[in-house]
Amino acid sequence: MSRANKTTSQKLTLSKKQNISGWFFLMPATFLIAIMSFIPMFRALLLSFKTGVGNNLKWAGIFNYQRLGQDTVFIQALKNNFIYLLIQVPIMLLLALVLASMLNNKHLRFKGLFRTAIFLPCATSLVSYAIIFRSLFAVDGLVNLILIRLGFLEVGYNFLAHPNSARMVIILALIWRWTGYNMVFYLAGLQNIEYSVYEAAMIDGASPFKTFFKITVPLLKPTILLTAIMSTNGTLQLFDESVNLTNGGPANATITMSHYIYNLSFKYVPNFGYAAAMSYLILILVAVLAFVQMKVGDKRD
Amino acid sequence: MKRKSIALLLAAVLSLSLMGCGAKQEAAQPAAEETTEAATDEASAEEAPAAEASADSNTLTVWCWDPAFNIYAMEQAAEVYKEKNPDFVLNVVETPWADIQTKLTTAATSSDLSSLPDIMLLQDNAFQKNVISYPDAFTDISGSGIAFDQFGGAKLAYSTVDGKNYGVPFDNGAVISCVRTDVLEKAGYTVDDFTDITWSKYIEIGKDVLAKTGTPMLSMQAGETDLIMMMLQSAGGSLFDAEGNPTIVNNAVLAEVMGVYQELIKSGVLIEVNDWDQYIGTLTNSTVAGTINGCWILASIQTAADQSGKWAITNMPKLETVDGATNYSNNGGSSWVVTSNCKNVDLATDFLGSTFAGSVEFYEKILPSSGALATYLPAADSAVYGEPQAFFNDQTIYALITEFAGKVPSNNTGVYYYEARDAVATALTNVVNGADITSELQAAEDTVKFQMGQ
Repeated sequence: MSRANKTTSQKLTLSKKQNISGWFFLMPATFLIAIMSFIPMFRALLLSFKTGVGNNLKWAGIFNYQRLGQDTVFIQALKNNFIYLLIQVPIMLLLALVLASMLNNKHLRFKGLFRTAIFLPCATSLVSYAIIFRSLFAVDGLVNLILIRLGFLEVGYNFLAHPNSARMVIILALIWRWTGYNMVFYLAGLQNIEYSVYEAAMIDGASPFKTFFKITVPLLKPTILLTAIMSTNGTLQLFDESVNLTNGGPANATITMSHYIYNLSFKYVPNFGYAAAMSYLILILVAVLAFVQMKVGDKRD
Repeated sequence: MKRKSIALLLAAVLSLSLMGCGAKQEAAQPAAEETTEAATDEASAEEAPAAEASADSNTLTVWCWDPAFNIYAMEQAAEVYKEKNPDFVLNVVETPWADIQTKLTTAATSSDLSSLPDIMLLQDNAFQKNVISYPDAFTDISGSGIAFDQFGGAKLAYSTVDGKNYGVPFDNGAVISCVRTDVLEKAGYTVDDFTDITWSKYIEIGKDVLAKTGTPMLSMQAGETDLIMMMLQSAGGSLFDAEGNPTIVNNAVLAEVMGVYQELIKSGVLIEVNDWDQYIGTLTNSTVAGTINGCWILASIQTAADQSGKWAITNMPKLETVDGATNYSNNGGSSWVVTSNCKNVDLATDFLGSTFAGSVEFYEKILPSSGALATYLPAADSAVYGEPQAFFNDQTIYALITEFAGKVPSNNTGVYYYEARDAVATALTNVVNGADITSELQAAEDTVKFQMGQ
């Protein structure tokens, strides 16, 4: 090997050589991402400036983007998305953080079991868990049955037929499905915090509450930022729950932007230009929110 | 050095095969779908045709979705056709309706129709939308010699665009009112009290039945407009005028329909459930004493074997104040289309024309096991259609339904059918919760008009 190195190094330095082989290995992936992802994204951007039914498209400039502001269903969907975002994401992240710091305790028994149990919802299919939640909250479903037995209700309450309770069911479902997922990130983050820090805090007489807010949260900031951005992204693209749990109803009270995009493309007379414009608005929203979160959250000392 | 060159070679092979993947996958997939069909049919296995339109002159490929219903009918049609044309080969590829719609949209928008089959089944409600959005994907079969006048006018109207026939009507969606005779008996009524009546009479009897037995008459899926659309069509009403403009606001029929629905809910005669399974559950668990829906609902009703002999069917109630109100309507149904990817249009139209649009014997054959009711009017005179059905108290339901089908007023679904339907569903939900009908209909019309703008 050493002889071989000597002969080639006369032509190329070692770092140059590594660069070339690095690029060589990157090429297939780059090529695939460009073909499968970037070109379609660019085509979608072009599409968002066109309008027409099905295949008969013509250029329309920013017409589609102007339309968005007048679309009552879209504005309703946007509002719904932000309701989910503002209520569900903070609750879920806080819950995940609390669970993670509880499960990080060295003296806790059956830790593996608890961790698996909390993470398990993530392994269920989006469609099937949505359908199970739908039947749980049916008029004669399990939740109503329990509430009637406990004497809170006389007859079953139709959770999915009222705007606020339907949104609440979706938020509950989301929390159930995604808390464990975020918890795993926090658990991973917690492994990087020296356990002796906690022991020192305990010796100094800090309460668990204080330890959580003064040690865990500040030290986990990068992870919290990551989960916050991922959750924002996921919530703005919410689709399965709206379609399968409530079908957007009652009266569009739970419809999400992605659900509306789907309707525009496949259920209604296809208006791909307008649907593409809507998708780009979601992209812009996610980018702006992520940027704001980075600015607010990532104050490195 | 040797190891390095091997690694290089492997990497090159890997990247090449990855690049090739995109192109290969497309060709591989239809072939995989085909395996089940190919296994059952020796002849087609040898030719190894893909799922798309068949190249050889005696083979047709068909997309449809229900093994117990339209796939079965298609296969029986092939048997009938084979008697005269022994070389004929039919490939049925089971494709759910949602997939047909997506595949059609994808093929048509990419301007590459080669992935489409020869014949496919389209939902009637989506027919106009697809033909108008993708005219290039369909074949005009008006001049093919198929006897279109043998079908009910309302049914045929779904597959007719600009006076041209694009489809051969298949299953029947004539609306029937089903009632539980045992429950009605307790309240002192019979099925005759529900025949040829108006909605106010229906609500009146319904209230009485509810008071005496505690059982509501009807159940419906909340946020779905099936019943609204059925009532609308029963008076020839539509959400669009002849030019295709939405007529939701100044629509006397729709205003009355919304009022009737509100009254049905308020009186407790109609209960709303959240999804389809719960709706079927209310029927099979005897939660309600009847239902009003397209006649395909019979298949679900008959799953409750313990209710045999306790059901009867009749026509639906009619509206009162509007002109042209009848006791007949339609909900759902589908039609066969010949795609423009079909290389052998003559064979396709001859096949459809001599089975689905020309053979009473064929319809007699498929009725007993699939319950597939014809919209082909001559079939109603057949003896099989006249046989009494034990589940329905020995009523001759099939003859009755075919008779209903011939009386359905035709309606204009319009291209923007699903937009209007969803907008009206939103209005309906708000109206049921106490909102004002006029302002809600105005909002619905604004939504539809907006979605129609480009």
